Amino acid sequence: MTLQECYNAIGGNYAEVFARLHSERLVRKFVLKFLDDKSYELLCVSMAEKDYDEAFRAAHTIKGVCQNLGFDRLLESSSKLSDALRHGWTPEADVLVEQVKEDYCVTTAAIREYEKECEEH
Amino acid sequence: MQKRNKTMRYLTLSLIGVSISCVCVFCFLVKYMNRQSENTINQLGNVYMASINERISKHFETMIDLRLTQLETLVETIPSNTNSDSDSKELREWLEYSAKARGFESLAYYFEDGSFEMLYGEQVRSLNPEPFQEAMQNGERKVSVGVGEQEEKVAVMGIPFDVEMQDGRDCIALVGKLPIEYLSSTLSLGDRDTMVYSFVIRKDGSFVVSSYDSVRDNYFDRIRALYEEVDGKGAEQLIVELQEAMESNKDYASMVQLYGERRQLYCSKMPMSEWYLVTVMPYGTLNRTIEDMGGRSLKVFVVSCAVILLVLLFVFQRYFKLNRDQMLELERARQQAEEANRSKGEFLSNMSHDIRTPMNAIVGMNAIAMANINDTKRVQDCLKKIGLSSRHLLGLINDVLDMSKIESGKMTLNVELVSLREAMDSIVSIIQPQVKEKQQKFNVFIYDIFSENVRCDSVRLNQVLLNLLSNAVKFTPEGGSIEVSLHEVESPKGEGFVRILMRVKDDGIGMSEEFQARIFDSFSREDSKRVQKTEGTGLGMAITKYIVDAMGGEIEVKSAHGEGTEFCVTLDFERAEEMEDDMVLPDFTMLVVDDDQQLCESTVASLKSIGVRTEWALDGETAIQMVNEHHKNHSDYHVILLDWKLPGMDGIRTARELRRQLGNDVPILLISAYDCSEIEAEARAAGISGFLSKPLFRSTLYYGLKPYSEPASELPQPEKVEVDFSGRRILLAEDNELNWEIANELLQDLGLKLDWAENGQICVDMFSQSEVGFYDAVLMDIRMPVMNGYEATDVIRGMDRPDASLPIIAMTADAFSEDIQRCMEHGMNAHMSKPIDMKEITRILSKCFFGGGQESRPIDSVEWREV
Repeated sequence: MTLQECYNAIGGNYAEVFARLHSERLVRKFVLKFLDDKSYELLCVSMAEKDYDEAFRAAHTIKGVCQNLGFDRLLESSSKLSDALRHGWTPEADVLVEQVKEDYCVTTAAIREYEKECEEH
Repeated sequence: MQKRNKTMRYLTLSLIGVSISCVCVFCFLVKYMNRQSENTINQLGNVYMASINERISKHFETMIDLRLTQLETLVETIPSNTNSDSDSKELREWLEYSAKARGFESLAYYFEDGSFEMLYGEQVRSLNPEPFQEAMQNGERKVSVGVGEQEEKVAVMGIPFDVEMQDGRDCIALVGKLPIEYLSSTLSLGDRDTMVYSFVIRKDGSFVVSSYDSVRDNYFDRIRALYEEVDGKGAEQLIVELQEAMESNKDYASMVQLYGERRQLYCSKMPMSEWYLVTVMPYGTLNRTIEDMGGRSLKVFVVSCAVILLVLLFVFQRYFKLNRDQMLELERARQQAEEANRSKGEFLSNMSHDIRTPMNAIVGMNAIAMANINDTKRVQDCLKKIGLSSRHLLGLINDVLDMSKIESGKMTLNVELVSLREAMDSIVSIIQPQVKEKQQKFNVFIYDIFSENVRCDSVRLNQVLLNLLSNAVKFTPEGGSIEVSLHEVESPKGEGFVRILMRVKDDGIGMSEEFQARIFDSFSREDSKRVQKTEGTGLGMAITKYIVDAMGGEIEVKSAHGEGTEFCVTLDFERAEEMEDDMVLPDFTMLVVDDDQQLCESTVASLKSIGVRTEWALDGETAIQMVNEHHKNHSDYHVILLDWKLPGMDGIRTARELRRQLGNDVPILLISAYDCSEIEAEARAAGISGFLSKPLFRSTLYYGLKPYSEPASELPQPEKVEVDFSGRRILLAEDNELNWEIANELLQDLGLKLDWAENGQICVDMFSQSEVGFYDAVLMDIRMPVMNGYEATDVIRGMDRPDASLPIIAMTADAFSEDIQRCMEHGMNAHMSKPIDMKEITRILSKCFFGGGQESRPIDSVEWREV
């Protein structure tokens, strides 16, 4: 699985990221690093604890990371979620967080698979 | 109407009233002036006559006095040897001799008893002896009338003369006689040559000296016989008045009429006698003068009266007219107001209907969706319909809002720099989907636009063109064609302005003549079955017209039923400062293929102005021929521009043919007013190298053709940013490690050294513990735990150290304008949205460090802001 294929699976825009970072090595490095990012856990915990300020920040951070990495699909859902949480809880937030979770799973699954292949080579 | 009649009647009556009073006043004036001048003449006559009488009296007095003095001299010069005490013979002889020598006809002694003793001459007797006798006894001098032997009248004058008669009688006076003619001739009374004649009468009316034409002895008889009644005064009354005046020794003046002619009579007493001098002056001459004067003044009065009446008439007439005009104006205004009111009423009812339709759809669809909430397809369909209806509703409401803004005068123009190219591009892209939906032919023509940048209100300009275009789309059936063109001509407003003619033309259903007349009125919509189905408020054209008017332009419409409609908008725009690049292309030879000749010519002109020689063809076949000829001559065109929709062989087929003959060397560009994305694949396959979308402005051509002007290897590549920021140190506040690493990785490439602060608090701490000037800038994430970016910026800005004002650049995943605004409010210098873009961050940092661009300039003190 190439990085490009990985991006396709994630629903991301490889060309854009490449244009910005100019290096596959860097892209790969950051993409793999995404797995270590704690924002998602923070989001899940905050939502469960109904700490919506923190949840907003977590969603916002995910949005920022996705912007940097060109993960367009997760970017879209996290962006909607952060908008919904911007001024505290709103009814949509609960629906949107599910979407974020789904997208996050898809994303991390794809990255893990890619990581596995990288290690194999 | 009744009020109008009332006003007219009032005006007419007052005109008549004013005219009548004017005439009356003038008549009175004429009469009064005549009376006044008559009186004046009377007075003048009296004064004149009085002086004549006085003169004659004086003359008379002098003459009588002379005669009496002669008598006295007679007495005084009696020789001393003569015995003067007694009536001696010598004395008588002396007296006779001396008196004769002095021309006295006779001389007599006068005795106390009133008897005369003649010294010589004829015997006389006094006609009125008493006063004479009395005067003589008192030793006074007097003249009187006497009668001679032939009963002829004589003047008798006496002086005191005391001599003792030999017979013992006492003589008291010496009396001389003179013929009465002597008096009249000496006094020259009744001179035929003068207007004035006088005569002398006595109290009883008898003439002493009569006038030349008098046949009677008594003046009173003459009055009775000849004098006519004048001013109600008869002859007898005149005699009475005259006698009374004589009795009381007063001067008397009166108007008399004789032989039908008015005369002035004046009577005064003569001295040393019981005589009265009467002078009569005929009025004829004087009267004529007066009458002349009266006549003249009458004429003047009549003329002035007429002039005043005419002026009055004129003023009234003008006033009438003004009044009538005003009335008509009022009537018109009233009708207009009623009309407006009615059309507003109609409009409201239409509008309610128009609003109800989409609203019903929304409510209905909403209900259907609720009832079928689990049927996703159904719900989607409902939502789609709700969306459409809502947009329609929003359009209606927007129109009404605009109109109410206009009606309340709140719509103002927001003049700014506008690129006509950008404006037209956006209009074309908005209208394209609608055109496509109705499968209409659409074309955009730009002729001779040399000033692409003008100053106007772009939003309103868009509104005008979109209104016209969406109308065209709306009222043109499927498959019809729509054309929009822009054309620049010289503006009559001068050098700094350009006149842009915009034309929107369709071959749709057109409009009736009557409707064209009121198309720009508010709240009107052609009320025919054809347009019943068409949506819209009918306000669009009124709004359009208003905007065009507000921009100082004109809008015209030409249309006929079934033949389509053409709108022409003429606007004068201020030419914006030339800020375009110096647009020059290499010395190309190009071919333009379009079925519109004018567009070809205009494109050729535009291309020529950017340095390109161009030929043109109107169809594909001709184009192929021309290309072949050039190919044979080994002078291939550098670029070929092909219109997509060509008659006969269309652009793509032509391109295919050209590629077959020419190979792949020459770039062929497709020009079209349509969205080319659909045909892109087909076009690319046919050998089209690129696309140019209409409208073809000069800059469109320049920027579209520029890539082909450079060698193929130099086609635009993503620019590698190469700026050296080495040695600069940046504090990056970012709570997410991944983001930090990305930023670090990227910025290191620029030679920057980065320190990481994991939140706002750490950032503040690190900054405060650093040496002054250690950090060159701070990149600040906004959403951070513990302390967010805004707070951290506030703390840093509040620090008491010289570098507290270092550049702080916000870095955030949000790009809402209120966020940017908030960044600025907290004293940040610039805002950068994620993802980190090298180009953008280089630009911003360059500006931070070098004060703009990439030239190395020291940071100046001018505060800069980047929004």
